[in-house]
Amino acid sequence: MNLSVNGVPHNIESAPLTSLLDVLREELQITSAKAGCEQGGCGACTVLIDGEPQRSCLTPVVAVEGAEITTVEGLGTPNDLAPVQQAFTHHYAAQCGFCTSGMMLAAHAYVEHGGTEDREAIQDALGGHVCRCTGYVKIIDAVAAVARGDSFDATLTAAGTRMTNLGGVA
Amino acid sequence: MKAVGARVPRYDGVAHATGRTEFVDDVRVPGTLWVKALRSPSHHADITRLDVSAAVAMKGVRAVITADDVPLLEYGHLSALGIPADEPLLAKGEVRYKGQPIAVVAADDEEIAQAAVDAIGLDLTEKPALFDIRKAFDADAPRIHQWGNWYTHFEGGMDRRQIRKGNIEDAFDKADVIVQGVYRPAAIEHVPLETQVSLVVPEANGRLTIYSCTQALYFSMGVVAAHLQLPLNKLKFVGGTVGGGFGGKVDTATETICALLAQKSGRPVKWRWTREEEFLCSSTRAPWHMEIADAVTKDGWILGRKMLTLHDSGAYSRFSPYGLTKHSFHHTGAYSIPNLEFDGYVVYTNRVPTTAMRGFGVTSVSFATETHLSRIAHELGVDPFELRLKNANRIGDTSPNQIAYTDPSTVPTILAIANALGHKLTPDYRAMTRDPRSGDLLPEHLVAQIGSTEGH
Amino acid sequence: MAVHKGRGFAAIEYPTGMNQNGDPSQAWIKVKPDGRIDVFAGTSDIGNGSKTIQSQIVAETIGVPYEWITYDNSNTDSSPVCTGTFASRATFVAGKAAEKAALAVRARILEIAGKELEIDPADLEIVDGEVLAKGAPQKKISVSDVAAAATWTYGELITGTGAQLKPYASIVEPETGKVDLSPHSAISYASCAAEVEVDDETGIITVLRLWQCYDVGKSINPTLVEGQIEGGAMQGLGLGILENCYPYYPSVEHRGGEFGSYLTPGMEDMPQIDTIIIENPSADGPYGAKGIGEMANNAQPPAIASAVFDAVGVWVTELPITPERVLRALEANAEPRRIGKLVIFDEELSINTVGNGPVKLEVLV
Repeated sequence: MNLSVNGVPHNIESAPLTSLLDVLREELQITSAKAGCEQGGCGACTVLIDGEPQRSCLTPVVAVEGAEITTVEGLGTPNDLAPVQQAFTHHYAAQCGFCTSGMMLAAHAYVEHGGTEDREAIQDALGGHVCRCTGYVKIIDAVAAVARGDSFDATLTAAGTRMTNLGGVA
Repeated sequence: MKAVGARVPRYDGVAHATGRTEFVDDVRVPGTLWVKALRSPSHHADITRLDVSAAVAMKGVRAVITADDVPLLEYGHLSALGIPADEPLLAKGEVRYKGQPIAVVAADDEEIAQAAVDAIGLDLTEKPALFDIRKAFDADAPRIHQWGNWYTHFEGGMDRRQIRKGNIEDAFDKADVIVQGVYRPAAIEHVPLETQVSLVVPEANGRLTIYSCTQALYFSMGVVAAHLQLPLNKLKFVGGTVGGGFGGKVDTATETICALLAQKSGRPVKWRWTREEEFLCSSTRAPWHMEIADAVTKDGWILGRKMLTLHDSGAYSRFSPYGLTKHSFHHTGAYSIPNLEFDGYVVYTNRVPTTAMRGFGVTSVSFATETHLSRIAHELGVDPFELRLKNANRIGDTSPNQIAYTDPSTVPTILAIANALGHKLTPDYRAMTRDPRSGDLLPEHLVAQIGSTEGH
Repeated sequence: MAVHKGRGFAAIEYPTGMNQNGDPSQAWIKVKPDGRIDVFAGTSDIGNGSKTIQSQIVAETIGVPYEWITYDNSNTDSSPVCTGTFASRATFVAGKAAEKAALAVRARILEIAGKELEIDPADLEIVDGEVLAKGAPQKKISVSDVAAAATWTYGELITGTGAQLKPYASIVEPETGKVDLSPHSAISYASCAAEVEVDDETGIITVLRLWQCYDVGKSINPTLVEGQIEGGAMQGLGLGILENCYPYYPSVEHRGGEFGSYLTPGMEDMPQIDTIIIENPSADGPYGAKGIGEMANNAQPPAIASAVFDAVGVWVTELPITPERVLRALEANAEPRRIGKLVIFDEELSINTVGNGPVKLEVLV
């Protein structure tokens, strides 16, 4: 069967019921999608299937025959980062980085579909993606910044929201 | 621009944002075998038969190991600190928690490995299990270890961690009110997004390259070297990039077993725990049981504290004696309490061993003592901020183990939040600092506990 | 039946480095022929940012741009001992080792620059990749040229090593817990107020706001400090009202084996968080830093428990404070037992009630 990943056509040899996640990671050696739970519960394996974020761990490859799959490798490269990648870097929206690929693809789709900087709308769109490091604050900041159309200075990072530094105090 | 204090780009930021950060599971070595474990279905039982012959004979199975294959079966995480080993790498003769690994298989793929595990013969004789740490001291409690149900190797051969300071009976005599309460925070999973994983590659020169998600490369290398009885030059740990840890990856969960399987099979071996294994079989933050009785005056001075802590260690000790000791050193929280009587026990139960997690030993005591202070403030009708400011540790006050505090910031952090909330404080409290005690803030009961203000 | 608001407060402290110390970290640095800096350390980055922090410390200490640093913690063949990334020690202890190694490298650079410039190294400083004569900055040589001179003229490799180890603090009196040395490095401090809403019909708690204050010593990287504080707040909220491996503890039954049955906090659970940072420098941390990674989830649970009491008048002292526990507490509406000056809460939970062994906490009046 055939599949296009990040614009490159592939002839897939894995069995039809193999998960799309395993096809990407084990057959095609595209490792940005992560096996966080393989239960559909964490979102670390999320990829875009014809532009829609989906859990690749629960998707049998046969179900997406002929589809266009986008992984983070298809968003941008280190020298040419997509806006969502710039935003996640600028806002430190990744700590350990394990949930980041899935989180960014969901965020990218949200903005592509006209999502705004409204925090509750972002929470709705990315709800179900588990991050255990950040407390989600900087992730939401990053997604809001992309939705606003901010430009990002690659030499600096963003100051956190609702943070005050009093310096030394007796 | 100066580097310290600057909001520089994360060293690994672009790698994270492009999916190029390489975690252990992203390393690809041709011919890597897959691992599955036979885990105990019982909470507490004797192993009366373990037969791996059918698994060994299966096509595609490259290595099977049991306790008999481990050069040093028991190695304590904290042996270097004199805490004796009590946990076998693989169960031998007895299982003490559900999910405890008994035998492990490396095979050509996941399905064969699971089929081989299913083919292992295992007979168990069930024994009564202990789950409630409050019943561990009962005469008729099920017995978990041959030496008993609690750890007995604290300094001086003591079976508990003790803190004693000042004159506790005098404090309780002089108290206007004594408030007693019980606090029980729960076991918590670490839930790193990357589950426990390692990949071990046997090299041509006889070394083992161990790709590991450990939070502590050298620490885990020491654990593997001890179990395998190898010098450190035979091992190379590769890692340093971890998909979340929170304390759970201070355990060396998969590395030793993969190393043994790689030695036995001569092939690269990877073991990545399923999310279900991570939830059900990996170690957790410990549940704690804390009882506090505080002797207080009606205007809110804390004269003394009696405290009893039971630390639910699960089936084995791991880091629990360390965690309890740390807990005891911090059982006064951010305050000066001059008279103390603390007793703490590391208690075994037939649950998955507990381990370090963010705030190890102190998260529990912060919950207990701070909730208790709020209760006391309410009982006395004293403002909860003022109660805390009054008793807050200050420069020169001494800790439970009689070390002077040199840079306490309790007063400024409390005042910062009082200001943020617009909480009304009297001018005396509003003007308070962390400077050494004097005047009204040095009542008679605190005079004897002042230590040196020189640095330590 | 109504929704009630309440506020609670807590203040905490937490030590940096392993309890009782004895936990070494080491680093070594070499300088490439063009002055770029390679740092080797064994400190795992678990997302906390130790690669970034140690690179910043080395850049600052030597006096070169952050972008010049390559940081390698990838393996135990090239990297020296680090006890590990836990006990809030990665910045304080491992960062101190990196600072010491960088100081050694800085001294070697100044020595060779001194030969090149024919100026006493004590009269030189390094600013932004250039070695300058103090008070006469027109007399200068770039660190790149110094490294080239070391390599091609003097036949030397510029390196530096650093190790940090606070000696093990022994308990010299097991009966009292008295120690012979301070059993930790710096102590960090924090306080937290929580505002909650409790529905007395469903028992559901919503954390509406958190106000937090942390003394971090020195923010070596303010964005990383914020990340620790925000992530900690989430885990503290999980501890307070959501997470539990054993829903019917001490029973081991009904453990959750998947995300749907173990409640990690989600995006929608996060309240508004206002944070105040204080920088009272530690005496011996790198640039005055303290370690705050772990303590960031310690203050929220007691603040939330006190806020729940403020809202609905019941103390729930078993965590997490689930809707079921709130409703049971409201139904029981328990009062403490009062005997003379003694006020006894939670007797039904006490080992005095549940256990039959010799271990008790009894206060006789």
